[in-house]
Order: sequence, then C-alpha cells, then structure tokens
Amino acid sequence: MPSLRDIRNRIGSVKSTRQITKAMKMVSAAKLRRAQDAILKTRPYAQLLEQTLARVAARAAADEVVAHPLLAPRAQHTAEVVVITSDRGLAGGFNSNIARFTQRFLVENGDRFERIQLATVGRKGRDFFRARKVEVRKDFTGVNAALTYEKAEDLAREYTERYLSGEVDAVFLAYNEFKSAISQKPVVFQLLPIETAPGADASGAAIDFKYEPSREGLLRDLLPRHIAMQVWRALLESAASEHGARMSAMESATKNAEEMIASLTLQYNRARQAYVTKELMEIVSGAEALK
Amino acid sequence: MALTLDIVTPERRVFSVTVDEVRAPGVAGGFGIRLNHEPFMTALEPGRLTYVEGGREHHYAVGGGFLQVADNRVIVLADTAEAAADIDVERAKRAFDDAQDRLLRLTEQDGHYGEESARVRRAAARLSVAGR
Repeated sequence: MPSLRDIRNRIGSVKSTRQITKAMKMVSAAKLRRAQDAILKTRPYAQLLEQTLARVAARAAADEVVAHPLLAPRAQHTAEVVVITSDRGLAGGFNSNIARFTQRFLVENGDRFERIQLATVGRKGRDFFRARKVEVRKDFTGVNAALTYEKAEDLAREYTERYLSGEVDAVFLAYNEFKSAISQKPVVFQLLPIETAPGADASGAAIDFKYEPSREGLLRDLLPRHIAMQVWRALLESAASEHGARMSAMESATKNAEEMIASLTLQYNRARQAYVTKELMEIVSGAEALK
Repeated sequence: MALTLDIVTPERRVFSVTVDEVRAPGVAGGFGIRLNHEPFMTALEPGRLTYVEGGREHHYAVGGGFLQVADNRVIVLADTAEAAADIDVERAKRAFDDAQDRLLRLTEQDGHYGEESARVRRAAARLSVAGR
C-alpha cells in the first residue's frame, strides 16, 4: 500500500504532465490553423497554374508538336520514394503510420523496378529507416524547420535534374494527407514522370493565345513550377497533418491524465480515511485499556 | 468593361484590382496591356511590373513567372511579388551583393550557374524597384 505522501507526489506529477499536454495541445491547435491557412493560400496559384498548363499543353497536343521529356513516358528502371515525416515526435501515430506505409510500398513495388531508393524529409523518418537498416540515399534535413516555397523548389529542382539526366525514372512522394484535425491518411503520389497529362481542362483551348516565347518554351518554364507546386502541397499537407495529429494525441493524453488524477485522488482519500480510522481506533483502545 | 489584374504567388494571392494599364517585363521585352488586348500568354523575366489605376502608378518587383491576358482579364503567376513600398532597400542591396558574389565565383559550366544568375536578376529587379 503506497503511503499518503507517495500518492500525493504522484498526483502532483500527473498534474504537471497534464499541464504540459494541455499547453502542447493549444500550441498545436494554433499551428494547425496556420498550416490550414497556408494550404488555402496556395489554392489560387495552384489552380491558375494548372489551368495555364492545361491551356498550353492542350493546344500543343492538338497540333502534335510539343513533346517534353517530363511528359514523355519511358521505361522505368530506377525509382525513388521521398517520405515526408516530422522532426518532432509526440504526434500519435503520425510518423510511424507514414513510415510503415512507405516500408510496405517499397516492398510491394520492389519487383516493378530494378532499384528503388529512399529519401527522407524530417528527422523521424530518417531515424525510423536507419534503425531498420534501410539505406536512406538522401536526408533532406531542415526542410520542416521553416517551411518555405523555396525549399520545395530546391527539392523539385533536384529531382527534375536527376530525372532528366536519367538517374531516376520515377519519383514518388509519400506523405500524410490532411483530412481533418483528427484524421490523416498516408498516401503516395507520383511526382515524376508527370502522370495526369495536363489537358483535361480544355476550357481555355478555344482561346487563340499568342505565345511568347513559344508553346514549347512556356511548357519548359511551366513544368518545373508545376512539380515544385506538387512538392509544396505535399509539404504543407504533411505539416497540417502533423499538427492535427499532435493536437489529438495531446488531447487524449490530457484526458488520460485527468482520469488518472481522479482515480489517484479517490485512492488518496480512501487511504487518508483508513489512516484516520486507524488512529481513532488506537486512541479509543488505549483509553479502554486505562479503565 | 474594365481591365482586371490578378497577381498570385505560390504562397498567397497578392491582390486583384481593376486597372487602366499594365506594364510587365516579358521574356521577349517589356510590353503594355490596355483594354481589349488580344489573347496573349508570356513568360516573365524578373523585373518591374507596373499598373496604372486612376492615373496613379503602382510598382511591384516580380521574380519571374507568367502573364496571360484574355477577355480583359490579366492573370500574373509570379514566383514572388512585392510592392515597391514593402521592399527594404538596405536588405535588397545586401541580397544583391551576396548573389553577385556567389555568381562571380562560378563559371558558366557550373550546374548552379543558371540558378544563381536567376537569383542575381531577381535581386537586381527588387533593388531597382525599391530604389524608386
């Protein structure tokens, strides 16, 4: 039976844990709001870029002149998967879900390619695969620390160059898609080669644009931005998911702490009552003995 | 019928206004757009984008991108866009000097040459817009 002092100390420690988890929950809620806001802010650009790309590519396809290496399918020998995780833990299943999902993807697609490599964004992903002796070709550290579009551009540029030089034939992004604050879904997205041939939206195709420099020239400038935008979106989705996951993890941690405090307090009160009763009995029996 | 101008960047929608005239730095040289311009799509160089609204000129530094005009709607997809008034001249100067230093250490054969020279041009565009 723990002493009264022991129970009191435990209550104190659980209370301070609750305070921490509560604060973390609040911080995550604020960060989540900002991350969601960032996603919304990229929408106009993303939509207009897609539309522009569709216009240029659609017209180009109709005339059958444009062929860009980023759009042309080719034999796929080597592939690389970039898995996006967070730098910090305490986010529930956020990191382990996506890491395990990626691991499965690597195994399942092992036969499709002669070689399939792995790169990581975020400390947690790197640590997960290092601990399992899976080779990480490249670790993009510091991308999460301060998320900027430039970093997405750099990452996109690197892969575009490696794709064009023939070093890799396919690039995938694995990340947590943001569904809601309490739900994230691990997904894998093919970054390269560009899969959905732009041209689905032909709404602007009827407009006879004058192009400068040429359609091919425009396409050459548009495609890298399209790729950068996909990377940027994945990074933002992952950031929002991370904060959402941490918020719900901290919420349930706070609830657990509260339950624990309640049961410990009950235990404490019972122990105290038992102590008081025992004391009384001793006094009474002592008094009886004196008679 | 009026001419509208929308500027969006990957990080945000900068603004959407009704304008009288737009002047922008195209890859094939600067150009102006007024009401009923023919449908036109171009890539932009880093430089100064100006729009005229009620006789007043507003200047922006854009870091490359695209411009399209159709049906009196001008859409600018800029990599970056900053109002002249928002640019810190001192910082722009430092950024330009840094970028130039880095570029001078490279030769045209370097893999990053194109990237760094684009950076210099962006920095130069910001500096020139801020200086006004």
